Amino acid sequence: MAGEIAIELKGVRKAFDEVIAVHRFDVGIRKGEFFSLLGPSGCGKTTTLRMIAGLEEPTEGEILLEGRDVSRVPPYRRNVHTVFQDYALFPHMNVKRNVWFPLKMKGVSLADAKERIERVLRIVSMEGFERRLPQQLSGGQRQRVALARSLVDEPAALLLDEPLGALDFKLRVAMQKVLKDIQRKVGITFIYVTHDQTEALTMSDRIAVMKDGHVHQVGTPDEIYNSPATAFVASFIGDMNFLHGRLVSYDGMGCTVDVNGRTVKAARAACLLGDEARNAPGTDAAVKAGGDVLVCIRTERVQVNPPRETEHGIEGTVKRIVYRGTDYEATCAFADQEIRAVVSSVTWDPAVAVGSRVRIGFNAADVSIFPRSEESMIIQYSSEAV
Amino acid sequence: MKQRVSPPRAFLRGIPITVWMLVLVIGPLALTFLMSFYSTDGMQIISTLTLKNYALFFTDPLYVSVLAKSMIVALIIAVLSILTAYPLAYLVSFRLRRGKQLLFMLSIIPLWVSYLVRIIAWRTILGNKGVINSALLAIGAIREPLTFLLYNRFAIAITLTYICIPFVFIPVYTALEKIPRNILEASSDLGAGELRTFFTVVFPLSLPGLVTGFIFAFIIALGDYIIPIQLGGTQGIMFGNLIWNQFGFAFNWPLGAALGFILFGISVVVLTATSRFGTTEGGFLSE
Amino acid sequence: MGLKIYGALIFLFLYFPLAIVLIFSFSPTKTLVGMQGITLKWYEELFRDRGLLTAFLHTVLIGLGAVTIAIVLGVSGAFFVTRVHFPGKGVFRTLVLLPYILPGIIMGISLLIFIRNFGIKLSWFTVLLGHVSFTVPIVMFQIMSRIARMGPNYQSAAMDLGANPAQTFLYVTLPMIRTAIIGAALLAFTVSFDEIVISFFLTGSAWMTLPVYIYGMLRFGLSPKVYAISTIILGLSLILIIFMARYTGRSADVYRAGKKEAGEAA
Repeated sequence: MAGEIAIELKGVRKAFDEVIAVHRFDVGIRKGEFFSLLGPSGCGKTTTLRMIAGLEEPTEGEILLEGRDVSRVPPYRRNVHTVFQDYALFPHMNVKRNVWFPLKMKGVSLADAKERIERVLRIVSMEGFERRLPQQLSGGQRQRVALARSLVDEPAALLLDEPLGALDFKLRVAMQKVLKDIQRKVGITFIYVTHDQTEALTMSDRIAVMKDGHVHQVGTPDEIYNSPATAFVASFIGDMNFLHGRLVSYDGMGCTVDVNGRTVKAARAACLLGDEARNAPGTDAAVKAGGDVLVCIRTERVQVNPPRETEHGIEGTVKRIVYRGTDYEATCAFADQEIRAVVSSVTWDPAVAVGSRVRIGFNAADVSIFPRSEESMIIQYSSEAV
Repeated sequence: MKQRVSPPRAFLRGIPITVWMLVLVIGPLALTFLMSFYSTDGMQIISTLTLKNYALFFTDPLYVSVLAKSMIVALIIAVLSILTAYPLAYLVSFRLRRGKQLLFMLSIIPLWVSYLVRIIAWRTILGNKGVINSALLAIGAIREPLTFLLYNRFAIAITLTYICIPFVFIPVYTALEKIPRNILEASSDLGAGELRTFFTVVFPLSLPGLVTGFIFAFIIALGDYIIPIQLGGTQGIMFGNLIWNQFGFAFNWPLGAALGFILFGISVVVLTATSRFGTTEGGFLSE
Repeated sequence: MGLKIYGALIFLFLYFPLAIVLIFSFSPTKTLVGMQGITLKWYEELFRDRGLLTAFLHTVLIGLGAVTIAIVLGVSGAFFVTRVHFPGKGVFRTLVLLPYILPGIIMGISLLIFIRNFGIKLSWFTVLLGHVSFTVPIVMFQIMSRIARMGPNYQSAAMDLGANPAQTFLYVTLPMIRTAIIGAALLAFTVSFDEIVISFFLTGSAWMTLPVYIYGMLRFGLSPKVYAISTIILGLSLILIIFMARYTGRSADVYRAGKKEAGEAA
């Protein structure tokens, strides 16, 4: 991937009267990158996208497009286009004229534009639909036309605001592949807003995880998943256990914690330093020895009666088993805590039932530690909360 | 500074409408208010401020009694309009499968047919030589034409009700249409018959539309003066006539302005009630 | 069942008077019972009535004029109210609506007083002013309703794709409200055509609109000519309504920001 920066946000901040939609965003998005903005509703991802498009103006900070400061430049003079959630195809124009529109605004006649329109329609597999009106198209077709319209004049980047949000599941998965293919084929920078973590993980080169206007982490899918920077990221992506423990000692990279009297070593604990790079609220407090921490392990990394020896093991009782087709989710209790394990159906031992005493195993490499103060930012959906 | 449209430029498009508002709404109403404090000596308007017009209104029994009677008649008309328009709206909204659009149009058409034409029609029907009398005479039901039909409050009431029905129909119909049909299914699923469902579910939900319709009818009926002139005779003087007279031979514009402003005040108060309890002015000005 | 009968009765009640007018316009005598055949002679008399034809022309001209002005004021005003933020918007909207919902007599006397105050003589101009007062709210609110249904995304999309404000208005906004404008114009024209109260207050002695002229005719009783012109007005109103129905309502649904339809299979 070329190292050239296509879009850069420097200290971008957006406030609507008293409400701060985006606290501070610093990032450099590379040319040709598929960059996602991920987070729950209201986290500021759409606002950020609109600022890049020019539909909102940042309260502070700069937005640079290909090196040029466009913070005060109106949207029609920026070389980026948006694919809106409801596509916004002009209903009084047919497909051809809709796609022609950006070129028309640049002064290109319909005749001159013909070839480019046809080419871009072929890229989105909508050739032959030129004369149709938007009302006559299905949702997926409209989306592809909207995409074509935004690509036809070869902008520097494409901004997509939850474009697959209105589609049903199977169609959405299919369209994810289509979008990714087009992005790779055309080589254009994509900035993609979504609240669906699977979508972000499968499609993106890098992801910015946001909550309540704060950027918790910017990284590759692997980094986000396996090295979450805050408890929020840990909870929002994938399925994570959060146990309570106390810090015993910290040795630079990893640390040792005490969980209900058992000693557990953890591999990742850089957050305990109070790293200012994590600019989310509640993440600045460093934890000292004896302080409370969250002990986090991915549910798929927790083993029940592991065949091979694991670094750590806890005796527990099975409280609940849920069969999910591809796997089993077992909730086990030990001391005053609960831990969930997701075990593939292939390796599941049918002898394990509710009430069984089992051995829960996991390795230090799978354990992340966060300050206990970050517990409030966790997103967990339990039946009590509903 | 917004990027979409910079505020100075955006306000430009508000200039034409604001000018219009000043010249044709605020200006005239303000001057009328001012005029209501003037007086006349029969030939000219004297522009020294005085409260005597309003004083006259409150002291001379004629004005208050006519206003009171007019308001009662207007109330009755509003009620009659509802009794006719509401069932019709309910019928078209709930009981019809096909042809709903057509029936709706048919119910609305009288609204757009000329106001004068409708008055002419009713004069024809109610007169001594009118349709009703001719028919009854011809079949021998009566020996002499019924005189109570025309030139009194009864005639005013029927004609104004006729005028007001479409004004009630539209907001009521709109409100009824907005009621989600699955609520009715839920209601009957839980054991309520149609009548019960109506009183406990449909009617309360349609109330905003009903209030709006009622108020429109009331205002129209209260302010009308042409129908009283045409069909009211000597018995049918309404408040509108009193205002109207001041601008005719009586040439007491200040008094007319005062009376007009009183009517304006009542209308505004009543209309404020719509925005509180009724639907928004959408009514028949939105698509 | 009883409801359907009641409904039918109401319908009869609604259309009976109109039918009477229609029938009488073709009847040589004035009574229903003693009808003796159909005649067109009242219509012929209409066409010979110079005053009436002039009044008709006046009404059409006023209608066209008032509607044109209303479109300019109404469209600009509609966008002003829906897209620009300023305090007191609710009051503003109500003020715009006033000429339409207040009893005509209030507007009539107010405008009369206002005009006299500036020494302007009553003429076609004052009548036009009067009509502009109530046609503007009609157009503005209809357009506002369409703008609301349209949603702001089309304009955002246009600008995002490179259209400056002028281009956005010309190529995207205007075409999308085109049918709303036509529908509103028809509605406003119909209302203006029929308007009598304000016209009566603001008309000079010689220059009349059709409703004012007919009203004058009524002074002399109900001559059959009145039925003839009434029937013609009936017919015209019907045609206008049918056209209006075509341009508003269902045909406008295509402009609704279609989120629902997006869920269909590709």
